[in-house]
Amino acid sequence: MKRRTFLRTAGVSVVGATALAGCTDAEQTDDGSSPTGAETDTTTETNTDTRTGTTTGTSTSERTLRVATYSSFTGEDTAGNWLKSAFESAHDGVTVEFVTPESGLNQYILRRQQGAPLDVDAYVGLNTSELVRADQELEESLFAVPDLERAGNVKDGLQTDPEGRTIPYDTGYIALVYDENEVENPATFDALTTDPYRGDLIAQNAQQSDPGRAFLLWTIAAKGPDGYLEYWRDLLDNDVKILSDWEPAYQAYQNEEAPMVVSYSTDQVYYHGEGVDMSRHQVGFINDQGYANPEMMGLFADADAPELGREFMDFVLSPEAQAEIAVRNVQFPAVAGVDPGEAFSKYAYEPDEPVTFTYDELAGNVDGWIEDWAREVSA
Amino acid sequence: MRWPSSDRIVFPVGLLATLLVLVVVFYYPVGRVLLAAIDPAGSPLAPIGDVLADPFYVGVAHHVFTNPASVPAGVLAWLADGAPLGAFEFGLFGFTAYQAALSALASVALGLPGAYVLARYDFWGRRTLTSLTIVPFVLPSILVAVGFQAMFGRTGLLNDLLAVVGLGPIEVLYTLPAIVIAHAFYNAPLVTRFVTGAWEGVDAREIESARAMGATPVRAFRDVVVPKLLPSLLSATLLAFVFSFMSFPIVLALGGLELQTVEVWLYAKVQSLELEAAAGLAVLESILSLGLMYLYLRYESGQIASRSGRLSRARRSLLAGWRTVSDPRRLAVLAYGVVAGVVFLGPVLSLLIESITGPDGALTMAYYEFLLARQASTAVGTIAPLTAIRNSLLFALGTLAVAVPMGVIVSLVATRGGRGSRLAEALLSAPLAVSGIVVGLGLLETLVFGVEVFGYRLTVTGWLAVVAAHAVAAYPFVTRNVTPALAGIDDRVVDAARSLGASRLRALLTVTVPLIAAPLVAGAAFAFAISIGEFDSTVLLAEGGASHTMPVALERYVGNRSIGPSLGPATAMGSVVLAVTAASFVVIDRVGGRYDG
Amino acid sequence: MGESSIGGDTRGESTEGGVGLEDVSVTFGDVPALSDVTLSVAEGEFFTLVGPSGCGKTTTLRTVAGFETPTSGSVRIGGRDVAGLPPEQRDVGIVFQNYALFPHMTVEENVAYGLRYRSPPGDVGPDERVADLLELVDMADLTDRRPESLSGGQQQRAALARALAPGPDVLLLDEPLSALDARLREQLRVEVREIQRELGITTIYVTHDQAEALAISDRIAVMNDGRIEQIGTPEDVYRDPATRFVAEFVGENNVFDARVDGDGRTLTIGDDTIVSIDDETIELPQSLPERGELTVCVRPEDVHFGPGETALSATVEHVEFLGDAYRVHCAWNGRSIRARTQRAPEGENVTLGFDATDVTVVRSE
Repeated sequence: MKRRTFLRTAGVSVVGATALAGCTDAEQTDDGSSPTGAETDTTTETNTDTRTGTTTGTSTSERTLRVATYSSFTGEDTAGNWLKSAFESAHDGVTVEFVTPESGLNQYILRRQQGAPLDVDAYVGLNTSELVRADQELEESLFAVPDLERAGNVKDGLQTDPEGRTIPYDTGYIALVYDENEVENPATFDALTTDPYRGDLIAQNAQQSDPGRAFLLWTIAAKGPDGYLEYWRDLLDNDVKILSDWEPAYQAYQNEEAPMVVSYSTDQVYYHGEGVDMSRHQVGFINDQGYANPEMMGLFADADAPELGREFMDFVLSPEAQAEIAVRNVQFPAVAGVDPGEAFSKYAYEPDEPVTFTYDELAGNVDGWIEDWAREVSA
Repeated sequence: MRWPSSDRIVFPVGLLATLLVLVVVFYYPVGRVLLAAIDPAGSPLAPIGDVLADPFYVGVAHHVFTNPASVPAGVLAWLADGAPLGAFEFGLFGFTAYQAALSALASVALGLPGAYVLARYDFWGRRTLTSLTIVPFVLPSILVAVGFQAMFGRTGLLNDLLAVVGLGPIEVLYTLPAIVIAHAFYNAPLVTRFVTGAWEGVDAREIESARAMGATPVRAFRDVVVPKLLPSLLSATLLAFVFSFMSFPIVLALGGLELQTVEVWLYAKVQSLELEAAAGLAVLESILSLGLMYLYLRYESGQIASRSGRLSRARRSLLAGWRTVSDPRRLAVLAYGVVAGVVFLGPVLSLLIESITGPDGALTMAYYEFLLARQASTAVGTIAPLTAIRNSLLFALGTLAVAVPMGVIVSLVATRGGRGSRLAEALLSAPLAVSGIVVGLGLLETLVFGVEVFGYRLTVTGWLAVVAAHAVAAYPFVTRNVTPALAGIDDRVVDAARSLGASRLRALLTVTVPLIAAPLVAGAAFAFAISIGEFDSTVLLAEGGASHTMPVALERYVGNRSIGPSLGPATAMGSVVLAVTAASFVVIDRVGGRYDG
Repeated sequence: MGESSIGGDTRGESTEGGVGLEDVSVTFGDVPALSDVTLSVAEGEFFTLVGPSGCGKTTTLRTVAGFETPTSGSVRIGGRDVAGLPPEQRDVGIVFQNYALFPHMTVEENVAYGLRYRSPPGDVGPDERVADLLELVDMADLTDRRPESLSGGQQQRAALARALAPGPDVLLLDEPLSALDARLREQLRVEVREIQRELGITTIYVTHDQAEALAISDRIAVMNDGRIEQIGTPEDVYRDPATRFVAEFVGENNVFDARVDGDGRTLTIGDDTIVSIDDETIELPQSLPERGELTVCVRPEDVHFGPGETALSATVEHVEFLGDAYRVHCAWNGRSIRARTQRAPEGENVTLGFDATDVTVVRSE
């Protein structure tokens, strides 16, 4: 799409009559000063000289990479900020800017559909379902194949895009977290529908929540597209609670509303330490499996700085970055042979057999699966 | 009354500016989203038809749309069967309306006695308590969920208290009552605040004359007081219904997916970019809400009586020494106080307790230290609490400055009378009646992405756009509070001011506004609350650090894992939000109260 | 401003310093409220608009004040055309029926309100002006009271003081006394008139009470159905009603359809020949048309028992004792006729009489 250059220049305009400030950057850009005229709190850790005031007068060697991601990827002590400062230190004159649109990847699918400029180069933090949706909604791919040097290092089971456009950089495994004083690990899906586990499980809405959707997909992987609804009927009969999202669900678990919650196998990484009752943080895999929910990154097809984006993505896959991301994001590295350190390895559990749907399996199916499920629950 | 010839500038320009703001940040964005249902790529109105024909959404009513010819036979068969009520499914819309009706009733049950106490009794702290009634209105749903879990949960405060007196445990979470109570928590303040003003406005002389004509106190109440309260009570009840109908996050956080509402589906459809289906749901939701709004306004316009020159009644003292415990009326008030304490104070208090309680149950300052650490941090993407407070207050003040004049102007239009003014007001009240999800999507697709005009892509974002969006969401609260009062003002009082040399604008400022000061201040407090609590359009429209408001900070702290996946930092920030908004409401009422005779 | 002595019909007289309306029409939507109203009020005159409710008198007042915009015609105040001028630029003071005091202000603040926008006349400062006016209306000891705590009469005085404070060119009074009880009403109307005389201010007074209009005014205009029926001094209007409506509305009256026959020499009501010109003793106040239909009226106080120049056989239907007189309702040949007499009738059948000079011929409609 050549249109972007044009639109970008046209975009910085103002609706004069109403004196409303006009600007193309709607998302929080974590950069520049607050329009309310006061000092902003988002000064950078490095390269502060290039980020204060306007960008005019900076040398031509300076380049900016704009990365869209989810909001908790950036901020103090996050993987995002570590990547930013490490990448900036390694590349002179380079600035990494994070953009955190509230609607996630949908923002860019819609922008593309409406011919609005994307204004970002790369996206960090999408999952396979989102890639499926982007391809379904758009005629031309939103992402380009980045041809990374380190793409081959990614663990086999995690690479879900057959075209190799989006690259996993870490993964979580969905598992049950349970209170061993109250219940034993059910260990099978069928056990969850039996009387000893009546009213014991808290799950999340697959329409809204990542772990919720992953758990649903896991049951589909286990029971098949023809059998999962029947399985869920049994689960519902057994009083499973389906809350909106991970936070209320986990909060409810902590308040002892139920002794099991759908969560991540890295649960104990947060909760080890003195005085913590680990009996309430037991991780239970089902059928020795865990549903892998890899987080992926992609280079937008109409990126302004594709080369810089490529370098950044390769950097993300470097062993050093992989270890940092694992620790800071509390997710497993996507690259084999990376050691995130003892504290992480000791408390993060990896299932014997990761399961996940590939791109091809999800394409054309996932929306229908989720809708049918939601109707079943509601009925 | 027609606009007089003077003030040729102020009123037309004010009205024009109001309409322009509404069109830019509401009607155009929302219209664009809804258009997907009216004129989709396929056949016109198909997305709406799909919803109406789907028993999942509309239950038994789908026959009317799929096979109308079968309806009479079906009804006959049903009657022949003895007309069993349980035979029907009413679908998602039916359930949503059902829970909304229950929620509205619960809001009235909880809010109306509050209005009675605040209007008829005097006690220490009454004015402050009145100011604080709106606080629940600004709490983000995630915090209400936390507060409710901590209060009503299996191991919550209520069950602890009940255990002390040998009762319980009760389990309300993840049931319909939990949602209904949560909706009442949000909406009872509307009832209380709206009705208190009307109750204070009851003229003592009218009651006295009713009593003098032989009416018992009960009859005098029914004949004199009830008609005065009904418009504001119904207005608040209607809003409680509409808000509960379109309630979204709290339903799943406290109820679970089995109790999902239309709005949950609307959100899911937007998430999966099935925008035509989403628009279909949104159109039906909006038609329902606006239809109710219109019917109500028709009713209201026939109800308003002149209020000028009233003689207000003296308040009773709530506590009257030993007599307090022997007076059934005062006892009932105290009993209500206990219930209100459980429903309102309970979750709020639980929230405060959660903010200083670690995962192990021990006292901790870690969450407030977290806030201090955010304040000290210079990292990209970190939101400092003080910045958030400052931005929130600036936006809220900006919102007041825009929403109050907008609301008054719309009220002036509404009370002008004439044909279609009810319809106009209903349409102008649309920001209350359209799903926030739709507004958010509309703003994204228009103002944020930009609209191509003559080859240029115009975008409207920045702090002014945020203020405009907040004001549009907030001004209907000003209008709803002000219109009945404005309609009750004797035109001749304003005419007198004009004949004494005051221009229309000056007469408005020196006579009309002081006469509607109490409802205006109440409306302003709601407007302030709406701005403080607003999240969606803030993150969409603000740029850079300006988007860091208190709810945004809170949402970021929810996602922050730096001290583990804990809602603790959010509860700490929530406590800050509570403190800041509570203080603001007291200030608004005190400052505003100075203009209230 | 000095007091002016106004008498007789002054239609068309110069309105320099007064108020003039010329062919003013006002419509509300499609409904005409005023049709071609023309009147002039001289400077310092006390002019009253009287008529039944809905006759357009309040609309006329509001048009002068600038609250209604005429669809045609012109309004002049103090010699200048005020078309297009909003109320605040017209220098009028207005007092409403319900007083319309500002409920959120004290009496003093109410009176001082107009002085925010207009300077008081003469050399006095605003505070002094307010004090003077409160003194004038005898409210000096109630300055700090709120309207809700005042009696109706007190509110009315405060409203009058408020309207007068900025020294308006014209004082407009819209049924200012109608909400008060009868005794207070009579007392206050005297006070209002005295204050008006003292200030010499041009005043337009609206009332539905014809007795009040007759009692208080220099001149009155009787209005009906958006039109002016008659303008004149109270005595003229009372004695010589121009229309049947005025005859019936102003004062008590017996109004009859009559016929003139015999080259204008006989006046017949029904079958009774009332006046015969051939009889030399009879003198009619107005000359009759030669023949045709017309309307005549006779005041009840001019009807007495026993034959006069006419003798009518009537049946008594009802008698009211009024204190200073009796009002006797009678039936005469299927018509009703009232007499105001000093003594009660004796028996059911009476003879009523009146003099031909008391018969007034009403201008034909």
